Amino acid sequence: MKIGLEIHVQLPTKSKMFCSCPTTDAPAPNTHVCPTCLGMPGSRPVLNRKVLEYGIMLAKMLGCKVADTTWFSRKTYFYPDMSKSVQITQYDNPVGEGGVYYLGGKKPIRITRIHIEEDPGKTKRVGDQSSLVDYNRSGIPLAEIVTEPDLSTPAEAREFLGQLISDIRHVIDLPGDGERSIRCDCNISVGKERCEVKNVTGLKNVERALTYELVRQTKVLKAGGKVERETRRFDEERGVTISVRKKEFEADYGYIDEPDLGMYNIKELAESIKIKESPLQMTLRLARDYEIDQKMAKQLVTTSVSLAEVFETVAKQYGTPNAVKWVAGPVSANWKHMEARGGTPEDVLPAIARFASGEITDTECAMEIKCAMTGESMESLGNATGDLENIISGYLDENPGIVSDYAKNDKAANKAIGYVMKQTGGKYSSAEVVEAVKRIIESRL
Amino acid sequence: MSIDMTMERMRAINDRYLMFHAMAESVDTDAGFTFSAKDNLTSKDMETCAGSKILIGYKPVFDATSIARMREEGGFLMGKTNMDEFGFGTFSTNSGLEVPRNPHDVERACGGSSGGSACAAAVFEDHVSLGVSTGGSICCPASFCGVYGMAPTYGRVSRYGLIDYGNSLDKIGILSAKAGDLRRYINVMAGKDPKDPTSCVQPELKNEERSMKSVAVPKEGIEGLSKDVESAFNNALEDLKRMGIDVEYVDMPSLRFAMPAYYVLATSEASTNLARYVGMRYGQQEGDLSLKFDDYFSSFRSEYFGDEAKRRILLGTYTRMAGFRDRYYAKALQVRKVVIDDYKRILADHDAVLAPTMPFTAPRFDDISKMSALDSYKADYLTIPANIAGTPHMSVPCGYGSDGMPIGMQFVADHWDENVLFTMAEDWEKEFDLRRPEVTI
Repeated sequence: MKIGLEIHVQLPTKSKMFCSCPTTDAPAPNTHVCPTCLGMPGSRPVLNRKVLEYGIMLAKMLGCKVADTTWFSRKTYFYPDMSKSVQITQYDNPVGEGGVYYLGGKKPIRITRIHIEEDPGKTKRVGDQSSLVDYNRSGIPLAEIVTEPDLSTPAEAREFLGQLISDIRHVIDLPGDGERSIRCDCNISVGKERCEVKNVTGLKNVERALTYELVRQTKVLKAGGKVERETRRFDEERGVTISVRKKEFEADYGYIDEPDLGMYNIKELAESIKIKESPLQMTLRLARDYEIDQKMAKQLVTTSVSLAEVFETVAKQYGTPNAVKWVAGPVSANWKHMEARGGTPEDVLPAIARFASGEITDTECAMEIKCAMTGESMESLGNATGDLENIISGYLDENPGIVSDYAKNDKAANKAIGYVMKQTGGKYSSAEVVEAVKRIIESRL
Repeated sequence: MSIDMTMERMRAINDRYLMFHAMAESVDTDAGFTFSAKDNLTSKDMETCAGSKILIGYKPVFDATSIARMREEGGFLMGKTNMDEFGFGTFSTNSGLEVPRNPHDVERACGGSSGGSACAAAVFEDHVSLGVSTGGSICCPASFCGVYGMAPTYGRVSRYGLIDYGNSLDKIGILSAKAGDLRRYINVMAGKDPKDPTSCVQPELKNEERSMKSVAVPKEGIEGLSKDVESAFNNALEDLKRMGIDVEYVDMPSLRFAMPAYYVLATSEASTNLARYVGMRYGQQEGDLSLKFDDYFSSFRSEYFGDEAKRRILLGTYTRMAGFRDRYYAKALQVRKVVIDDYKRILADHDAVLAPTMPFTAPRFDDISKMSALDSYKADYLTIPANIAGTPHMSVPCGYGSDGMPIGMQFVADHWDENVLFTMAEDWEKEFDLRRPEVTI
């Protein structure tokens, strides 16, 4: 089974894509409208540059090649909610093409393209005989992300969307209801021919619609039938997909370039835009680039993105082993304390530098880091640390098996940690104890 | 200056010549000057139909930037001028509304598609009219009605408020019986307008006088002329030489390709522009609402679009269909570049390219009714190249035929070089004896 998605994401601009109408919730239908988004004769689009910036950010996030020059096209089709009967979208040279996005950090999902376009208005059925149209949504900017058919199951498609939305939210500050505003066209083929289920809203419905199609297409094939290439829609209430039109009636949109907007050379703009890395992506990158366990990377990032940044700084300057030893160790252990008293992570760097150059010992470095982060004096700390280290050392002297067990499974340290915690009765934080126990065990390996 | 005009006289003149579709309700006698505007430029609170039945009743909520700037300058908008539906024509006869009559002979056409504008410029004293050119719609009627007409460089005047024909080709310009009005009013309307991004790349308009030194006459541009046009043009060339201007004949092979490319681009764009007229939201909305929306749209468009609009929608839809798009639309975009390059090549050594504006004088209405669509498309072969290239161009009256009808010649200058055309018109006006039509109202 192959599944490919076309995902529409609303971009969080303050004003619409081609006019200055607000994008916020309107008090009543057809109140956030003007000649441009109503498509009145003589009106003209003016591009909101922020839309291009968001498009570039998402293209970068998806690993796409950002176009040097991009422009807009007219897609012509007749529907009452499309005020000009022409949608301004991108056809040739979209903002980004040819990306890869890793599902769960592992499975590559190829991204065909990402383009930006305007949303149509909304039609609302009133009774049997009539519909009303609300153009408040007309001209709201969207990004459309198109994937290759690299997803294998409906559940995977849902997982992919969940991860994608969380990443997008991080990169472009999508509002909290981002998930609700996600709309998807889902392409699915069990056999050779594919069907497209148009305009499915929300993650759960995507999974439901795809599952329905999976079952339907499988049944058709098992019965010796042929799946017809067609466009279908999803009935949310009944949980079924319904045929809308066959392939031979697919619309020909007659794309031409949008002459009112011209071309945009976005090479320099794209170079100047740096995107915020999502926590997941940072975790995966740290694990990959510094060859550390994904669990450790995740722990660093979850504690704080700044902690992970300190890790990178130290790893780059003094090597990964020092970063693991110090940043994942005592710096991480004292992080909350440091944040609480408003310290800065840069304070720990001198100690690590001096350790790396051989000026100070393990124990001295650990103490200096703690002093720098907690603001305690070396003397008081010296005594306390000495006490803590003595207790641990004494215990390990009596139980050498822990050290050898630890080499096989680091859970062996738990016994020592439990003992020390009990002995010291809350004098040291658990993070401190854990860090010290592990450090001393590791120095004996 | 006060305006010497009454509504009574305006109406009487309009009854004879039919230049206006909509008119002001009263005369603003305190205005600085009078002007009119082609009916595809939106005017606040004055009906704007672009010559189409489908827009009857459309009262825009905003002024086109060009009209707004003329009003700010003290202009009184007398009326909105009749035209071919959406600009689709050469004689203003493809109108869903009224067809303007040539002030030199009311049995003849004004030319098009800014026919009403040329008519108003010829008939009213001290009057200037805004026209719009897509493929020659300013120069053609200027030539037929014996007035000066200029379409500036594409992007010089904001198109905000222009009801689009072909957005990559449409240019707003000026028609007037006085040469000096070209410079004066293009200056009023020109300049960047944030509401039209394509107006925002223009360099500033130059205004120091710059007389023309040399013109290039393309051999391809003097083929197929009527005897009257040929002899008037040749006389004009002699006059230009006397004025000290070099005249050189050149080859300009791209002129032959300009017309097919123009009709592909213009109709491709037009067919998408006209998609919005479906009997909802504005203009004509009398249709059978019990129909399904697509049946309603189809019946509405079938009823209210004219034949030429339908023809161009069909042509333009065909040329951008999947499978044909590359053969026609994409190819036409390439041809446009070839035409531009050809102008650049010739204008590197000359101030302007010069040819007659139209191959014949204003035809009689009964003759026009016998012409095929192709015949009338072909009549535009001299005005189309400059339009597809987006270069500024100007028709000046240069003689009269044996039938007494005006004849014009068209100068084409390089992009953004309107100044050399302004000066040419002003120099020419001193030499040429312009005949105004007799208006006995």
